[in-house]
Order: sequence, then structure tokens, then C-alpha cells
Amino acid sequence: MSVKWRNIFSQFCKMKSYFVGILLLIFVMSGCAYGEGTSLVVSNDSPPVLLASASDKVPAKAAVDTANPLDEEYTEDEAFDAYADNATKEERVEIADPLESVNRVTHEFNDKLYFWAVKPVAQGYKAVVPEPARISVKNFFSNLGFPARFISCLLQADLSGAITEAGRFTINTIWGIGGLLDPSAGKELNLQEQDTDLGQTLGVWGVGQGFYIVWPIFGPSTPRDSVSIAGNYFLDPVSYVNPWSARLGVNVFDKVNSASLRIGDYEALKDAAVDPYIAFRDAYVQYRYKRVKARKAKRSSAVESAEEPSAPADPELSEKGK
Amino acid sequence: MKKPTYQKYFLVFVLTSIFFVVSQTAMAAGLFGPPQSVSREAGGLNTAIGYRYHEDTYQDAADIKIRQNEIYSQASYGANNIWEVYGRLGIADLKIEDVFKDNEKFSGTLGAKAFYPISGAWGVGAFVQGTYYFSDFIDKVSRRREVRIDNLWDANFGVGLQGTFPCGAKLYAGPYLYYSEARMSLSSGIRDLGYEAGDFTVANKFFAGGFAGFDIPLAKGFRLNIEGQYAGRFSAGAAISYTY
Repeated sequence: MSVKWRNIFSQFCKMKSYFVGILLLIFVMSGCAYGEGTSLVVSNDSPPVLLASASDKVPAKAAVDTANPLDEEYTEDEAFDAYADNATKEERVEIADPLESVNRVTHEFNDKLYFWAVKPVAQGYKAVVPEPARISVKNFFSNLGFPARFISCLLQADLSGAITEAGRFTINTIWGIGGLLDPSAGKELNLQEQDTDLGQTLGVWGVGQGFYIVWPIFGPSTPRDSVSIAGNYFLDPVSYVNPWSARLGVNVFDKVNSASLRIGDYEALKDAAVDPYIAFRDAYVQYRYKRVKARKAKRSSAVESAEEPSAPADPELSEKGK
Repeated sequence: MKKPTYQKYFLVFVLTSIFFVVSQTAMAAGLFGPPQSVSREAGGLNTAIGYRYHEDTYQDAADIKIRQNEIYSQASYGANNIWEVYGRLGIADLKIEDVFKDNEKFSGTLGAKAFYPISGAWGVGAFVQGTYYFSDFIDKVSRRREVRIDNLWDANFGVGLQGTFPCGAKLYAGPYLYYSEARMSLSSGIRDLGYEAGDFTVANKFFAGGFAGFDIPLAKGFRLNIEGQYAGRFSAGAAISYTY
């Protein structure tokens, strides 16, 4: 290689990190744009709700002219009725899909990958390895996912979640034989895994999920949730296994083991759908919406409980002190 | 709104602290534990992490006093409150007086115990356990002199009397037989140890000893075991176990 080309290559390598950063920023910004505007609505009789916006409050059903005292009187009742409507109906979430034609191709690719490669290997693996051993392997890899969940909890200001994750990791690593067992989830300790990630963290902080993307191998995602894929790469200890072939082997083993524990789920959803692509898209969006909503609710309740003034120990004494 | 369970978080904090304190020390043979299994009666696992400070005297041409810090992780399976099998993976350092010192090396231990209840609170049990160090301990005692200790292993057999208190605490004591040996290679003679250059097989000086300890329930399925052993020199350690 000539000196000139070597210099160009080294400069490219130096700039690569900046390119990645800029691309990531554009990606997330596109998520914000869609999140704030057209893409995500809760549709039924209730008015549109921006998903993953900073506020979860559902606007009142009809605009009220507050100048009229009679209308003002009924404001509360109407708001209550709107809540009652929402409480009884399933929220339907939609997402923009400008890349549908490309997504359908990658969806088809992932479908073939599952039926032609993952499923046969997972079935063979399932036939050889008993279920308790496969669950232990799942526990082990789940335990390795601690850094991403811990940091996500911290970024969501969910301190109790972060402590729970730290406790789970410690107990499962020591008394769970390196994470193969999950004593933390037992009845006595009841430290449940925090089902969260960096995508949800962005959602909690108000970043909209944006449009729908189907990544080859990784599957359904959005620009916002794609941050999880990138973030997990850096936070997953398996990413630091060398050489790359060993890393690939460990990741493939993890995926095959996971697939062996839920053979049939994918097929059931696919068979029940008129258009599997739409069914998977809706299921994914619905699931992520609920997860972000749940995390937001948890954060709001934590903030409220922190802001609650503590009651005086003895009301009589506090009265006397006045 | 449901208040957070501070007791749970306190337990998590204590256990996390133990993890970080223990992981700072060296990590084996370990404790013998109570003669009766702490697994559920119907059968089940219990796991533990333990630490033991171990002193011993080996001999061939002259006495060698060794010291070890051992940390181990244990998985056991027991049933019917009468039997248990267990395996341990641990690491331990090795010091020989002020002459030789090497860092942590991996070891594996296998053991089994059986218990016979005499009355409601009392019973006797027996155990057998063996340990093998997978790596050699090596130290350069001077620029040209190297000491290598390989094939370090030990085997223990003991019987113990156990009393159980109503709160679930177990107190136990008994005698045990002990044999340990290792291959020692010296590139040249070491006057401080009283050994010439060559290969020797050294074995422990005292073949019998006694042990005593207690095992108390903590909370949420955890138990604390503290034990002392004496066979010419004193060893002691502690372990925290969790019953599934």
C-alpha cells in the first residue's frame, strides 16, 4: 500500500468515530421528529396521544370554553368520562412506516433465517439439552445483561430499580453459580429483573420512537430503539470476548438457546395473522409503547413519593409549636 | 402506594458489601460445615461462598509452615436432611514462612456428607472431602533460585456431633483425619527452609485434628457458617449459604 493511501486510510479511521456519532444523532433526531408529529397516535374514541412524549396525560375529550361557568362546572365530569372510556378500551398504537417496502424484504429475510437456520438448529439443541439446563444458560446470559439494565435504570432516575439490579447481579453471581441460577427471583428475595433498555430510557425522557425499521437478524426496531442495539454492544461483556469468532459463537449460542425456549411463539403469531408483517409491526409497537408507559409511570410515582412532604410525627405537638 | 421494602434493600446492600470485601482477598478446601445438610427436606440445591484462613505444617527434610487465604464458591445438593453432595471451585494463595509466596491458583473440591438423627435436636454425621489444585505455585526466591510446588492435594474424613436449637441454629464439633501432600522442586538448595536442591514430596505433619463451628439462619433463606479447625495449627473461616 502506498504512503498516500495509508494516510487516507488512517485519517478515515480517525474520522470513523465522528461519522458514527453523527449518524446516531441523525437517527435519534429522526425519532424525535416522528415522535412529536405524525406517526404515533392512540386511536380509538380517545383523542390522539403523542407517544413517548414527556406527559402521559390524556387531553380532555372536548375543548371547554372556560369563559362559560356552566361549561367549567362540567369539565371535571367530562374528563372523568374520557378516562372511563380509555380504561375500558384497548389502546391501539400506530407507527409511520416510510421504509415499508425495504422492511418487508428484511422481514422476509429474517423469516427465512428463522425457519431455515435458527429453528432447525434450536430444535436439535432442544432435543439434546434438557430444559433446566437451557433455562440456566438463559439465566447466565441474562445476568451478563446487568450493565445495560443498571445504567438504564440510573438514567431513568429509577434508583430502586438500579439497587434491585445490583442486588440481583451480586446474589445471582455468588449464590446463583455465576448467574446460572436465579435465586433473586424466588419468593423470599423477590428481586425481579428490570425489563428495561436504553431505547426505553430515551422514551422515558421524551424521545419519540420514530418510524418502523426491520433490521436484518436483529428484527423489528425504531430509530430510538436502535440505540439499544448500539448501546448493548458496548455494555454487553460478550462484546469484549476475543477473537471475533469466539464472540460470534457465544452470541449464536445465546440466540439458539433463547429460540429453543420459545419455539412455536413466532409460528403462532404468524399463523394467526392475515398479513404477518403488519401483525409483527403492531405487536412490536404496542409492546414498546406499553413498556415505555410503564417505566414513565414508575418514574412519576417515584418523583411524587420523593416530593411528598413528610407528615409530622405528632400532630398535637406540631399544633402546639405554632 | 406500596412502600419500598427497606429491609430487602438493606439485605441487598449487606450481601453486595460482602461480595466486594471477599473479592478483594485471595480465594479450596474450605470449611467442613454442619454434618446435616441445609438443603430442603424434599431435596434441593444450596449454594455458598466461603473464606478460610488456613495454616499447616508440612515436612520431609525439615518442617515447612504454610499459610493460605482461600475463597470458594460451593454448590450442594441434599435431601431428606440426611445426605448431601457438594462441589467447590476456589482460589487460594500460598505462603511458606517468609521465603516463598505465590498468588491465587484455582482448586476444585468434591465432598459428601451423611447424617443420622439420634433425637429431635441431636444427631451425628460423617463427611469426606478432597481438594486438588489445578496449577503450580511458583516463586523465585532469588534471582537464580526457583521453588515450584505442584500436585497439591488433600483429603479429609471426619465425624461430627450436631445439636440444633429451636431457632434453627446448629452447633457442631468433632474429630477429623487429614492427609495432604505436594511435590516440591528446588532449583538449588535453600538454607532458610533446610532443603537441598532437587524434588521432594512433602506431606502434612499432623494427620488428625478437631473442628467446631456453628451455622445460624440469617434471613430470606441465607445462613451463616463459622468454623474453626485445628490440626497442629489453627485454621478458621466463614461461609454464607443460600438454600433454594
